[in-house]
Amino acid sequence: MPGILSELRVLELTHRPSGAFCAKLLADQGADTIKVEPPGWGDQSRHEPPFIDDEPHPDRSSTFLAFNTNKRGITLDIEQAEGRNLFLRLAESADIVVESYPPNRLAELGIAYSTLSAANPRLVLVSITYFGQGGPYASHRGDDLVSQAMGGYLYAVTGSASMPPMGTALQQMEITAARNGAVAVMAALLRREQTETGTHIDVSAMEAAVSTPSGLIHPFTYTGRNPHRGGSDGNVMDGMHLPTLDGEVTLTTAGTGGRPMQAWAEFLEEPGLLDPKFATRGGRMEHWEDLHALVAPRLAQWTNLDLMRETMARGLVIGLVQTPQQVVESPHLEERGFFVELDHPEAGPLQYPGSGFFIDGENAMAATRPAPRLGEHNVEILGGELGLSLRELGLLRAARVI
Amino acid sequence: MVEKGVLNGVRVLTLEQVHALPWGTGFLADLGADVIRVESPDHLQDRKAGPFPGGKAGEEWWNEAGNLVYYGTRNKRSLCMDVTHPGGKEVFLKLVEKTDIVTDNFRPGTMQRFGFDHESLSAINPRIITLSSTAYGYTGPWRRAGSRARTVDAACGLSYLTGYEGGPSMRASNNYMDHSVGNNVAYALLLALYQRNRTGQGMRIDLTMLETGVSAVGPAILEAQNGITRERLGCAHWWKAPHNVYPALGDDRWIVIVVSSDEEWERLKIAMGSPDWADEDRFATVLLRWQNRHALDELLGEWTSRHDDVELAQRLQRQSITAGSCLTAQDLVNDPHLDARGYLWEFPNPQAPRVGPRVFAGRPFRDPGNPMAITKVAGLGQDNAEILSGLAGLSSADIEGLEADGVIFGAPRPDESPP
Repeated sequence: MPGILSELRVLELTHRPSGAFCAKLLADQGADTIKVEPPGWGDQSRHEPPFIDDEPHPDRSSTFLAFNTNKRGITLDIEQAEGRNLFLRLAESADIVVESYPPNRLAELGIAYSTLSAANPRLVLVSITYFGQGGPYASHRGDDLVSQAMGGYLYAVTGSASMPPMGTALQQMEITAARNGAVAVMAALLRREQTETGTHIDVSAMEAAVSTPSGLIHPFTYTGRNPHRGGSDGNVMDGMHLPTLDGEVTLTTAGTGGRPMQAWAEFLEEPGLLDPKFATRGGRMEHWEDLHALVAPRLAQWTNLDLMRETMARGLVIGLVQTPQQVVESPHLEERGFFVELDHPEAGPLQYPGSGFFIDGENAMAATRPAPRLGEHNVEILGGELGLSLRELGLLRAARVI
Repeated sequence: MVEKGVLNGVRVLTLEQVHALPWGTGFLADLGADVIRVESPDHLQDRKAGPFPGGKAGEEWWNEAGNLVYYGTRNKRSLCMDVTHPGGKEVFLKLVEKTDIVTDNFRPGTMQRFGFDHESLSAINPRIITLSSTAYGYTGPWRRAGSRARTVDAACGLSYLTGYEGGPSMRASNNYMDHSVGNNVAYALLLALYQRNRTGQGMRIDLTMLETGVSAVGPAILEAQNGITRERLGCAHWWKAPHNVYPALGDDRWIVIVVSSDEEWERLKIAMGSPDWADEDRFATVLLRWQNRHALDELLGEWTSRHDDVELAQRLQRQSITAGSCLTAQDLVNDPHLDARGYLWEFPNPQAPRVGPRVFAGRPFRDPGNPMAITKVAGLGQDNAEILSGLAGLSSADIEGLEADGVIFGAPRPDESPP
């Protein structure tokens, strides 16, 4: 099945993972996505560790490889007039441009939304930045950790109450900003079908962070109390991670018909859990060390996959705390056909995560190509599609435009 | 229903609970779809979950929870109907004829037991799009397992990599996966509508929390195949230092500072008033700063602890240094930036007059072509009559019959326990 977005062309002009991931979401649904990188250096994430085989190399960064699947790549210096001209020519036939420059930078370069839109009124421009296009912090510098902090997530969500704030690994605010951007793009494409006009979408990673907990703002405005980190502290049955024979697990009181300690006492063959002091959530928190001393040795006798199978059979709900290695080797994901293999000339064949959904039983993730090498498609796109001659391409190369 | 929304004319029937799926269908509701939340009178957990004003549920608690405004029933309609009753099932199937999308978050098998599986619904309406949002999907050995957002946070690899430096793994969040999955639900449904505009065909979407989670940790998945393991570093970074959260003046106040280059380090030194320690050789280069980051963090923390975090972050930003205050919910409600951007939405819910107007987080994106706002929040069964007469074509006598037979409800059962 050709991807749902296979008739669309996306230009990506981004510097941070949020923009790259947003464009990837579109590329993974089949959109012809052209990543435009600065000549010579390319996307900053090409140079950030870790690298496949530990070899620092612009085509071996795991972040770059993971966030740029199914894209083609060209180099273009849009700081130079000729580079901007070529970008504008590409934008004339594009449906979507994803960019993450600081606000006003595109205007300074002469390729603001108004210019792009005059050349191509159907164009959807999506700008993903840390603080958005306007407002007092618009010009502030950010990164994922700053987004977690300024978005209220760092203070309230992940860490322990008695420790400093601590955040979520792996740049999840960038990911969340990107997912919001992709939703906004699809809504804009549906609107374009009605109006034949594009739009300029403003996505803020700080705001994406604020919206991430199921409640941050309104719990405060309803109760006057600030949500505070530490929700899993001392919470043996509903939060902590507990060791198993070959990993860790986190328990829940779900699926126990309102009698969690009876269900778990029976499953773990540990009658001590029936002690009335553990009967309520408050009691379990108060006596969490005693509870931990009873539960932990029992769980430590199980392997992860056995524990998953047997709790599932009894309707108990647990979560295996899987290492990325265990995720890669997951029999469940293998049977579903979740991973997609892409063979990269530098990084070799690797299994890449799918999109998270299957359509009519088929993995919805396109498997067209791995991340592009720097300037890999310059000749194909600038020569073949824009019609530049090899001589012209040579001149542009000498002038460091491509 | 939101007027002049891009999805006007699109109808969604949703059998949804908890957070992920209601969050996902909430986007469609905000964009103008007619999202009908079909609620069971026997599963009112979401309406019990709060938050309630001052932490106390009122007499009409079922319409008062803040979560209903934030995502549960905002811009949606509510049909409180027992679909396991033959009368309720009949109505549901009638509504399917006039519906574009049916979504659920039951475990695999439940929709089939109700007679609402994709094949049955598409026999009634070939253009129907169905989406089932589950923990592990309709296939595979774990398909029957239940979940919480936290257990998927664990299973996808995110929790394992999250934790204080040198400490144990910790769940990243109790509900980040719900949120992330909700965004993926909205994306998948909008893709499906876009595709159907071309092909006229419906489709069946099997969307999972586990796989959405794994798709968000791609770099670690590639690294694992290459034998690379990531250490837990708390707020520290793989190669940047300083990059952490530092104490500020006051109780439980903190500031984040990030330095990515020598130039930024020089600017930070000046901002600190060029203390002698900052010029020591052990902090002279990117590599040395990273290797000596614990000492660096401690010294930097001594400096930050003498400053107000909000003022200091503003000052550092003016000096082109990446910094941010560690804001609380209260700070955010009073934040001038969010205020200037119109991010926070105040809404007085007419269905819960006791609650009065409250402030909510808005959407993290603006599109002048698709403006969004809260226009209504559906009380329990508030739209029963309108939906049953307007869409299912029932007479008022039919509707009264359904009420008398215990199929539809405008309030919880008399013996329902309050939250």
